[in-house]
Amino acid sequence: MQGDSRQKVILAATAVFVVAVLAVTLILKGSIGMQWILSGIVVGSIYTLVAMGFSIIYSSTRAINLAQGEFTMVGGMLMYTFTVQAKLPLWVGFLLAVLIVMILGAVFERAAIHPLKNPNMITIIIITIGFSIALRAAAKWIWGSNPVPARAFTGLAKSGKEIPVKIFGASLSPQSLWIVGLAALAVILVFIFFNKTMLGKGMRAAAENRDAASLVGVSYSTTSLIAWTMAAGLGAAAGAVIGPIQAAVFDVGTMLGLKGFAAAILGGLGSTQGAVAGGLILGILESVVAGGFSSGYKDALAFLILILVLLIRPEGLLGKPEAVKV
Amino acid sequence: MAAADKPDLLKSRTVPELTSGMRMYLIVAALILTVPLWARFIPGDVIHMDITNVMVLAGIYSCAVVGLNLLIGYAGQVSLGHSAFMGIGAYSVAILCTTFKWFPTWLGIIVGVLLSGVIGLLVGVPVLRLKGHYLALATLGLGEIAFILFRQMIDLTKGTVGITSIPPLSMFGFQFNSDLKQYYLVWVIVLLLLLFTINIVRSRVGRSLRALHSSEVAADAMGVNTARYKTYVFVLSAMFAGLAGALFALRQLYVNPESFTLTLSILLVTMVVVGGMGNLYGGIVGAIVLTFLPEVIKALPSFEKFNNYNLVLYGLLLIVFMIFWPRGIAYGLERGADLTSRGARHLHDRYRSRRIEGHSKDERDE
Amino acid sequence: MNAMSEPVLRIDSITRMFGGLAALKDVSFDVEVGEIKAVIGPNGAGKTTLFDVVTGIQKPSSGDVFLKGQRITGMRADQITSMGMVRTFQTVRLFEGMTVLENAMVGCTSRSQKGFLANGLRFPSARREERQIAAWAEEVLEEVGLETRSGELGTNLSFGQQRMLELARALASDPEVLLLDEPAAGLNPYETSELSGLLKKLRDKGLTILVVEHDMGLVMQVSDDIVVLDYGEIIAKGTPEEVQNDPRVIEAYLGIEADSDA
Repeated sequence: MQGDSRQKVILAATAVFVVAVLAVTLILKGSIGMQWILSGIVVGSIYTLVAMGFSIIYSSTRAINLAQGEFTMVGGMLMYTFTVQAKLPLWVGFLLAVLIVMILGAVFERAAIHPLKNPNMITIIIITIGFSIALRAAAKWIWGSNPVPARAFTGLAKSGKEIPVKIFGASLSPQSLWIVGLAALAVILVFIFFNKTMLGKGMRAAAENRDAASLVGVSYSTTSLIAWTMAAGLGAAAGAVIGPIQAAVFDVGTMLGLKGFAAAILGGLGSTQGAVAGGLILGILESVVAGGFSSGYKDALAFLILILVLLIRPEGLLGKPEAVKV
Repeated sequence: MAAADKPDLLKSRTVPELTSGMRMYLIVAALILTVPLWARFIPGDVIHMDITNVMVLAGIYSCAVVGLNLLIGYAGQVSLGHSAFMGIGAYSVAILCTTFKWFPTWLGIIVGVLLSGVIGLLVGVPVLRLKGHYLALATLGLGEIAFILFRQMIDLTKGTVGITSIPPLSMFGFQFNSDLKQYYLVWVIVLLLLLFTINIVRSRVGRSLRALHSSEVAADAMGVNTARYKTYVFVLSAMFAGLAGALFALRQLYVNPESFTLTLSILLVTMVVVGGMGNLYGGIVGAIVLTFLPEVIKALPSFEKFNNYNLVLYGLLLIVFMIFWPRGIAYGLERGADLTSRGARHLHDRYRSRRIEGHSKDERDE
Repeated sequence: MNAMSEPVLRIDSITRMFGGLAALKDVSFDVEVGEIKAVIGPNGAGKTTLFDVVTGIQKPSSGDVFLKGQRITGMRADQITSMGMVRTFQTVRLFEGMTVLENAMVGCTSRSQKGFLANGLRFPSARREERQIAAWAEEVLEEVGLETRSGELGTNLSFGQQRMLELARALASDPEVLLLDEPAAGLNPYETSELSGLLKKLRDKGLTILVVEHDMGLVMQVSDDIVVLDYGEIIAKGTPEEVQNDPRVIEAYLGIEADSDA
């Protein structure tokens, strides 16, 4: 099929490009370059977590949720409330934060998404944007406009400061390992769920064909609810763990959400592997650009990639083609 | 497939008799132009706001929204990045008029409008090949890139610090430095732009746009160069937004990147949606409603404590309108006006026939 | 009259591949000025794809199309319409939210020029053109018998009338070549015979018509010439009588006689 060979070309070109960037960075910049790359992997893991939230909702319901970043933000905020203000144990705070945001996601799905009769994508996008605006404002109201402190999970010295971990000549905060670990775990769990469990496979079927899926026992309505709840939970988990590296503040979700979205599009909406690929590539490229050129402009990279992907191959690196252009 | 992929939200409608007529335009124009005359009779401490003042801002938004309504409501192309064009218009005026003290402000506006148009053309041509939500997302990306550029090109834009001391608009020695003067400046411009838009919608161009919105393939087959039309409307809406941005700069006398973010783009789209897409006056209605809403709420005594409610409300409003009233307020107003005028005509007819009956049964000619 | 032997529409070895599948394979035929030619064939034979390629909605994988001697392969649909060839669609694609008259007026797009500036500022030339467009549109509506419904929403018409409106819209562009994709689909016998009369009247006025059709009655009544497609290839060409008796055609259709009254 023509599509397949074009995809192979694009995949190969991207792989070559990324490898080239890595090589050039390491050769020219040595251990600083390694620092950039490793922190790029950490940031990329965050993007992967956010991108997976987008992917799950999209692959189950063909909806794009631009409030995904806000799930992460609320998760981080709640983590602060539970573990710093209320001084609860970390794992308790983590579970509570994730649970509450999951409920939030479920409530929103039932209230605003489920009742739509024949929703078109733009309607949903705008509705989720409305939701994100409301969440941001509510967060600002509840927690104020300043960033809130977070508790690192491990690796604290007696003074309370984090002891950096040394890898390949670069030093990373120990929380980074938690982030990458969480992302890896999430990827594995989500992959197993959608590919090996009946419910997960049923949900994917429901996205393809609403009516047929209900015949096999998975209603579209259930699929939508579960997808949103899962995405909310994933987002919150991400927010809860990145606190020490990226402080939670009411508007942290905006850029994070949009960049995670760009990563999801790059990798291919609806594909878990795509989320990983997109997240890591974006994270690494962004880190290299920030280090090597300018940290202010690095934000533009995600959007440039977004637009390029939409123009060249909107289904991304690993997604399946859909009718997009004239 | 034609009906299924045409979202309820963006279905085009007949340009209704009632609102496309010149009568309606003159009524609306008269209403708007007389606001400052009666507004100052409403005591400020009762409503906690200065109507004329708020209306100036509503007018500035209306400038942008009239164009955006044409793009979204008539041509069916959604842009989530129009804040970029407002920013271009604003920064053009700001940069030119503060860097070169002699630079005429009115010329700054023209530069801003033209620059918005040029950039609209450059980004529009590739991006308008995309359909539906892909187009919306690409424009979102463009809006974000514009914001980042405004923030990072410090040599030019002074970054997050912003540009201050922008001189107010002055033409032939006449300075537009008061609410009243700005009110008439802005709203006369809006009314002219509106007239232009009404003419377009009622013409061959308007039909071509509605046709391409309804079925791009059929429009192509009927001889409409859909790619070119989409680009033209996009550029037009970009220029209107650039004009709005320039007026904004000349009012605030200060610009910074934070004014031109995704939030602004969404606000503009919300105004189009809430006001009524595909309705000529919809954009203006939406702009007025959404500019007054935060002021109204601020004025209510019980809400004084909470100062982010308005954003929460705004987000919820967006959601509610998209779900329940995608056709917006203007449609409701129009239906109301239509029913009212029909009701009035009905009563009038009944009154006439009563009089005829009353006069003389012989003279009945029905 | 016209001594030109040049066919007004020449379709030359058109092939259209979708992946490994050939929707059209080496299709060639000519359409002469003022004739009504029908393209028939079983479902899936590639008839609509042929129309799409000829009118610029799809590009062929190889081959060419010539209109009035000029190569139009790969041109945009709206360019081809400006050159005098217009089509209707198999599924009715009326413009929603527009009246009958407005739908017809869109058909006049290729005959008019005034754009954003002239119309936005209501130049006298634009106003004149608008009146002209309305006059042309009313003319074609009269031709198909819809002039009394001109102010109504197009979607309010009955199905048969909607098909007529589609036809009127196409005629509004003042074409020389008219491509009709299953114009009789869904019409009752009365409407079909009205259509047949209309097509003959148009042909007599000098219009060249290429019709894709399943309704054998209509085909036999109006066609001067027939081309038969099956699996993307031409399997027969000729007059209605010749084609009717062609064993390959009968085999491809299996039951062609049974279909002869709609």
